[in-house]
Amino acid sequence: MICFMFPGQPLTHDASLPADADFMEIAALAKDRTGLDLASFTWSSGAHTEQVRLQVYGVAMSLHRLRLLLAEGIRPAVVAEHSMGIYPALVACGSVGEGDALEMAFRAGECMERRFRGREYALGCVIGLTEQPLAAISATNGVYPANVNTSRHFLLAGPRAGIEAACGEAAAAGAFSASVFPCDAPLHTPLMAEIGPDLEAIFSDYGYREPCIPLMEHIGQTTLSAARIPAFLVEELCRPVYWERTYRALRTLGATTFREVGVAAALTKFNRWIDSET
Amino acid sequence: MSDELIPKVKQMIIDSLRIEGMSPDEIETDAPLFGEGLGLDSIDALQLVVAMEKDFGVVVPDAATGTKVFASVRSMAAYIAENRK
Repeated sequence: MICFMFPGQPLTHDASLPADADFMEIAALAKDRTGLDLASFTWSSGAHTEQVRLQVYGVAMSLHRLRLLLAEGIRPAVVAEHSMGIYPALVACGSVGEGDALEMAFRAGECMERRFRGREYALGCVIGLTEQPLAAISATNGVYPANVNTSRHFLLAGPRAGIEAACGEAAAAGAFSASVFPCDAPLHTPLMAEIGPDLEAIFSDYGYREPCIPLMEHIGQTTLSAARIPAFLVEELCRPVYWERTYRALRTLGATTFREVGVAAALTKFNRWIDSET
Repeated sequence: MSDELIPKVKQMIIDSLRIEGMSPDEIETDAPLFGEGLGLDSIDALQLVVAMEKDFGVVVPDAATGTKVFASVRSMAAYIAENRK
């Protein structure tokens, strides 16, 4: 059983873009629906943060990879998503079109950029500690676990000062790596509830078809119906991503082959780690 | 001494990182493992830390040590030779 896994926002942008006709179509769609010119990585009008650019870029790259896999005749029996990978995952399931997926990612990103402007947030990637000590460090510093990717790989989110302090404490407590990354908003934390109504308004603008392929969500590991999708799109930005649980649930469901549909191979590496502990 | 470990270290990298379609001979002994070399990242580093402990009984205690140890296959082999029990 093949599973297509859609990763979240990439941390960096690779300037060497694909040059095939499929990518040209997706790039044109991205420019039309979001204003981002992927070739120059600039906006045709207005100005948005690097994070918004990376969100649109990540969706575009996933959509391109999806097209290539489908053109090769590779079809998933189940689809899974991590964080903002939900938008191209909805395309893979036939629930929304490519243009809507790009636009939703852009509008959600623009909303976060605008509503949290003037406040400093950050992400902290901590590798090597287990969940319990990291939860204590997070609570002490007023930040939250945003991604529970494996037993030893976590992303924290919250105010920058708290993230920097938490990463320092994590390193002192024996983390193999603790790195701070910029972000526009406290993604996947309860702090996002502040903009919940804005996000609800955005996602209610779109129509969602019933997924034609089961789509497993990363919070409770259930499959999404069309009726649940708009609420999930808001909820998933306010709650942590539980990747290890999701991967194990996919395995239990019968998935045997996993194809990562996007930039880099983070999910594949998480899976490798989880398998090594099984 | 550490040169004898080089083929074993290469095989450990392939096995622990599940690198498909690559033989130990294709990994350059002195090439950087991270970034431009094999393109490994911090997730891979932790996997290598666990593999080194399991296969050779050698501990890499922190990222600063890891940066030096994982510079190349040769540096990994040297660290194992110096620290194995």
